[in-house]
Amino acid sequence: MFRIQHYFMIGSSVFLLLLLPLMIIALKRHERSATPRLAIIQDMDKMPYLKPQRKSDLFADTRGMRPHIAGTLAREDFIYINQAETQLHPNNWAATHVVLNSKMQYEKVLYGQVLRDGQGDWVKAIPIHVTPEFVNRGQQKFDVYCGPCHGDNGRGNGLVNQYVAQLRTEGSPDAGTWVQPTDLTSPAVKYMPDGQIYGVITNGIAAMAAYKDQIPVVDRWAIVAYVRALELAAAPVPASKLPAQDRPPEPTGKVAKVATDGMQVAAATSQEQKQ
Amino acid sequence: MSEKPPFVFPKWINKATLGLLATLAIAPVYLIILLGYGANARTLNVGFSPKQPVPFSHALHAGKLGINCYYCHTDVMRAAFAALPPTQTCLNCHAEIAPKSKELEPVRDSDGLGPASKAGLPVPWIKVNDEPDYVYFNHAAHINAGVSCLTCHGRVNEMTQVYQAKPLNMAWCLACHRNPGPNLRPRNEVTNLNWNPNNKVQLARDLGLKESQLPKNLGKYLVKKYKIASTKLLTDCQTCHH
Repeated sequence: MFRIQHYFMIGSSVFLLLLLPLMIIALKRHERSATPRLAIIQDMDKMPYLKPQRKSDLFADTRGMRPHIAGTLAREDFIYINQAETQLHPNNWAATHVVLNSKMQYEKVLYGQVLRDGQGDWVKAIPIHVTPEFVNRGQQKFDVYCGPCHGDNGRGNGLVNQYVAQLRTEGSPDAGTWVQPTDLTSPAVKYMPDGQIYGVITNGIAAMAAYKDQIPVVDRWAIVAYVRALELAAAPVPASKLPAQDRPPEPTGKVAKVATDGMQVAAATSQEQKQ
Repeated sequence: MSEKPPFVFPKWINKATLGLLATLAIAPVYLIILLGYGANARTLNVGFSPKQPVPFSHALHAGKLGINCYYCHTDVMRAAFAALPPTQTCLNCHAEIAPKSKELEPVRDSDGLGPASKAGLPVPWIKVNDEPDYVYFNHAAHINAGVSCLTCHGRVNEMTQVYQAKPLNMAWCLACHRNPGPNLRPRNEVTNLNWNPNNKVQLARDLGLKESQLPKNLGKYLVKKYKIASTKLLTDCQTCHH
């Protein structure tokens, strides 16, 4: 009897001992580690060639990607749509919209203004053919770049503004010098020429930063188109002024009759109550 | 000269042999389990979460404030590399919000608001989701095919400090390349990490269809719509190694 118990003891302790590494692994699987994985076989994982945003010891400032040399332009700065991309990119929708056939048109599209007697004159209307697709594109871009501060409805109360307002009520110094973004449906923006809105997106205004590096030229115009759409949505048009196909359906006879009956009943009951 | 006594195994050898045989039988099985569990990509790769020079919280920016991925990673639809934004992008807001925060000092220094010697120098971020250098991964190709950020990066909008959420090893890549359908969604929902495929109204709007026209198998429909290459091409060596 003693022997069997003896074997059982040895067997179970060996079993537990074998289980221990597996348990340690199971714990480690759910932990975060500040060091990358241990690679025993390097397999050319890290090669000395340069990838985007990698460090390079060739330059004193360790930047592998070199900044622009003063006084030069990258090819894409010229205008953000280059021909090769227009044809190859599956998602390029701009090709059918933008026609740059004159210097004036080029200035209009790129700067949102035309030079007249050495003075910039804002373009009155978007110099690009506006289609529903174009406005949809504008909505997508607006929600990405403008929505966080101006709000998806353009009223100037996006989530960032709400967060800063909350910080301010808490008395946090992080609220800083934040000012509430402009209401894009307000008259100040409504009576701005399209070119000027484009200019504000491009170069910024007051506390708002310039977005020319983040948003390509045509997308900026798409955003202008969508801002106009938001303004229209903010000031509803009476149904009678809409084109025929967009009008809401007229109430049918039966519904109208029920409604008037109801009113008569209500009137009758109120008369009864008076009596 | 006495004769040498013949060698006799001691009695305990009987028991030891039994133990030895048992060890020989169990050891290989145990080692295979140990290596398979301990050295697989899920165990080794997932959970890498280095401390960054600026404690940027995706949970706050992308989660609570709802800032779209594209706001900072602007070129990801057009470029192979999902570039980190220039510090100028941070200062779009942080010139006003938390303008004196100590944690944001490297950002301000880089943008030229600090000492002149540090102006223009990059913030030394540490890359978290990193493929080996012999793998060619193209972000634009995946995003335009309707593969969400979520598929490879996990719930970044809930990460206070970014960690690697998926193993990103070859077997894992190939699992999707063999059958991409289940991981596809409409292109304009790619950065929406809370996308709900069962929301028929939204789905119809995304695809430009009526609700009654919605495809039964969304994956199959999107593979066709976005012209996803055949499995033969997607699993070819030179698709990712060239």
